[in-house]
Amino acid sequence: MAEPTKETRKLEKIRILGELERGLDDVDKVLATGKTDIELDFSACTFISVDGLEWLEEFLLRADSLKSSVKFVNVQSPVYKVFKVAHIDSLMRACGSPSQDAQGLVC
Amino acid sequence: MTVSSEQELMLTQRANHLVRQARLAAAVFTQYSQEKVDKIVRAMTAAAIENAGKLALMAHQETRMGVTEDKILKNLVASEFLYHQIKDKRSVGVTREFPDLNMVEVAEPMGVIFALAPVTNPTSTVIFKSICCAKTRNTVIFSAHLMAAESSNYAAKIMYEAALAAGAPKGFITWVDKSSRLRRTSELLMSHPEVDLIFATGGTQMVKAAYSSGKPALGVGPGNTPVYVHKSANVLSAAMDIIISKTFDNGTECPSEQTLVIDREVSEQLLNEFKRLGCHLCTQEEVEKVSDLIIDSRSGGINYKLVGQPANLIADQAGLNITQPIKMLLCPLNGELRHHKLAIEKLMPVLGYVIVDSVNEGINKALDINYAGGTGHTAGIFCEDDDVIERFSDAINAGRIIVNSPASIGGLGGVYNHLNTTLSFGCGTGGGNITTDNVGIKNLINFKRVPRRRNYVISFQTTKNIYINPGSIDHLKSLKCQSAFIITSRSASRRGHLAQVTERLPQDCHVDVFSDMGPEPDFAMIQRVVAAMRHSQPDTVIALGGGSVLDAAKIVRLFYDYPELKISEIAVNFLDFHHRMIEFPKDMKTQLVAIPTTSGTGSEVTPFAVLKDGHRKISLIDECLLPDVAIIDAHLTRSLPPDITGDTAFDALTHALEALVSTFSSDYTDGLALEALRLIFESLPETLKNPNNVLYRHKLHNAATLAGMAIGNASVGVNHALAHALGARFDIPHGRANGAFLLSTIEYNAQIPSKFVSIPCYPLWVADRKYARAAQFIGLTVEPIEGETEEAKGLRLVHKLRQAVYDLAKLAKQPLSIAELGIPLETYMAAIPELTEIAFSDMSIRTNPRYTLAPEVAQLFANAYTPRERP
Repeated sequence: MAEPTKETRKLEKIRILGELERGLDDVDKVLATGKTDIELDFSACTFISVDGLEWLEEFLLRADSLKSSVKFVNVQSPVYKVFKVAHIDSLMRACGSPSQDAQGLVC
Repeated sequence: MTVSSEQELMLTQRANHLVRQARLAAAVFTQYSQEKVDKIVRAMTAAAIENAGKLALMAHQETRMGVTEDKILKNLVASEFLYHQIKDKRSVGVTREFPDLNMVEVAEPMGVIFALAPVTNPTSTVIFKSICCAKTRNTVIFSAHLMAAESSNYAAKIMYEAALAAGAPKGFITWVDKSSRLRRTSELLMSHPEVDLIFATGGTQMVKAAYSSGKPALGVGPGNTPVYVHKSANVLSAAMDIIISKTFDNGTECPSEQTLVIDREVSEQLLNEFKRLGCHLCTQEEVEKVSDLIIDSRSGGINYKLVGQPANLIADQAGLNITQPIKMLLCPLNGELRHHKLAIEKLMPVLGYVIVDSVNEGINKALDINYAGGTGHTAGIFCEDDDVIERFSDAINAGRIIVNSPASIGGLGGVYNHLNTTLSFGCGTGGGNITTDNVGIKNLINFKRVPRRRNYVISFQTTKNIYINPGSIDHLKSLKCQSAFIITSRSASRRGHLAQVTERLPQDCHVDVFSDMGPEPDFAMIQRVVAAMRHSQPDTVIALGGGSVLDAAKIVRLFYDYPELKISEIAVNFLDFHHRMIEFPKDMKTQLVAIPTTSGTGSEVTPFAVLKDGHRKISLIDECLLPDVAIIDAHLTRSLPPDITGDTAFDALTHALEALVSTFSSDYTDGLALEALRLIFESLPETLKNPNNVLYRHKLHNAATLAGMAIGNASVGVNHALAHALGARFDIPHGRANGAFLLSTIEYNAQIPSKFVSIPCYPLWVADRKYARAAQFIGLTVEPIEGETEEAKGLRLVHKLRQAVYDLAKLAKQPLSIAELGIPLETYMAAIPELTEIAFSDMSIRTNPRYTLAPEVAQLFANAYTPRERP
């Protein structure tokens, strides 16, 4: 089966609602089709657990192997801080932010 | 791959796994509310209380140290007592508010903590650190002592399960499993990049390793607790407390007593009481045997096999013939204490003692112990004399100095006193630590300070009684004074002013006069006048003259009232005009009446006084320099020649313009400055036309005083800094020197500054708008231009203002450049570096609306030389 070209790929927008306590099967299924890029909208995500974080990391890994692009959008500050403190590069990349701390002068 | 590198890889993977769990949990923990955290802490505490006995027994069985019953108590202190101390404390969000400082503190978790647990407190330390980490939303990876790993890890498991059930993040507590590679795994964790803090409680080697890891570390130091029993102590109570403390968990607590220092007066009673309560007092021969047993002869350190062992076991092994049960062994440390083998930390029920003959000797002996390996840790004193306690506390270097209580349980905090409960004793720099705290939750939070902008209080002060109309010199007739000392100049005397004053003073008032005050006096002149006043002993000083006379009189009164003052100490520069470091006297004893005979300085209403000091001028500023009475009588200015009228009016004009744009200006000073400007522009031309017209003299005189009030509260600016330097260097009258720079400084201050002034009371640079407002206030207008911005219109108004100043100066024959002052160009240019240095350090510059850089000062000097065209 030919891989979908960039033009034929669909962009699926999915909202994460409430507390992300564990993996979301519906989202996994969308990814499994291998034909879509995904935009996860965190505007209504109020909490993220360790399992939720681990699922997101793994989800991004799977997306990468399927050559699907995943973007996180509208990440609210408390959840964005969780991503920052978790020090997981793939999460930060999905948010479109630099993954490494800038090294500046020490004063 | 070799076997060892395979093992290393496995250990690294294990360490990575532990840290990853902790890292994710730390991230998730950042979302927790205070309520959620407190719920977890409560559940963990309950679990610890429920399992206190089981864990204590397990710890004792595994380590063979201490006393199970005491370990139960430690577990309870680490849970129940800790809970009481922290349950109501905020550790999430805003933790503290400082309303007076307009500041709050907000908590930020530290992140992933790698925590060590010692063999002496294997379960209580884990309980304590787990609860503290939960309260502060940190995650923790425990590494136990190999000899206590099963009990420590079991304690961690109990804490974790309780926390998880209450909603804590998965992986919040983890631990290194017991294995022969435990030490190596701990080393890997210590240097792991994802570990944020090492919380090290344990042996010296582990603490040292923690500090060497390059990570932030909360460590502890070794102890060697001296306890002084002063003759004022309640001896029987002291004996019981010491036994409780030293036998607690068989002496494994590091704050516990190591050597007693006993006043001879109570030594017999104390030792007898120890004996009566079941302690054994060793003979010198027995001390040798005990020393040989418990001290490792090679290292001079403690024999670790005996840590936490019972007294009878130690006695037996030492070969002491003791058949009855004993609580502890008391060893007299005879000879040179500093070199005695037993003058070290003994974590077992063996206690040294020395007898002393004075408080001084007692403190010195305690210091010998304190500095023999226990600096910064713990000390104790039994004493009812507060002075002795204070002397002891002052001398001893210990993070906790326990008074009239058992040192060990006292050091734990929360039981015998209100110290923070801890199992981790900060020893400060004496013990190689960053804190002397009983380490607890406050040490596990990154406190973020959130200071709001300072609410800057600006006040307004001026001379209390001001008489303002022509003829108001008559007020002198009713002046309350027995003896007046008049300070004036020869010209005032010549112009008849002195006679006008003396004629009006009350009949019974004794009057002395100093009429030799020259222009710009120095401190030697001040001292001369003060000396003259000492003979006269006046209750009132009357300053009659121009600004120099008035300024000098202010300083004369100050040094007359307070002869102990030193001029060099009160003439200190400042950054904040309203909060200077120098404290002047609050109350003046001698009344000061200021009668200006020129319309310029406004000194009669300012807290300033300027003195000449060689080639510079020094300024004194304080409310105590304000005169008590000012008499603004324009009749006294009628005989002023036109040049002095012009000079002094330009001084007042500069005051008004600089006060208006000062960083300390306010609505109060703005009103005064604007009205002073209006009066000067109205009355100076008329006065010059008709010098005897009292109406315009009156307006000009009032203008100078109003401008004085403005600068008295808003101060001046760069123009004055330049003028002070120039005037002092070339003997130029102050008003003239001011005028020479005025066009340049208005232009300079009206431009967007190259550097803004950083002072909280000046939130917005508005100098350009204020000059424009001044222009409008004195009636200047500009034709409207369609589409012109307010800023551009403002700049045209500033231009108009500069034109008005130019025109006024020409009318008053005031020089507007240095060349017009008759200073040769070469001489002047050569002096600019020195002038710049002096002007740059002048106090006046501090309140300029534009932060004046040194090269800009030099440029202002240079630009001021060439005669100016009309702007």
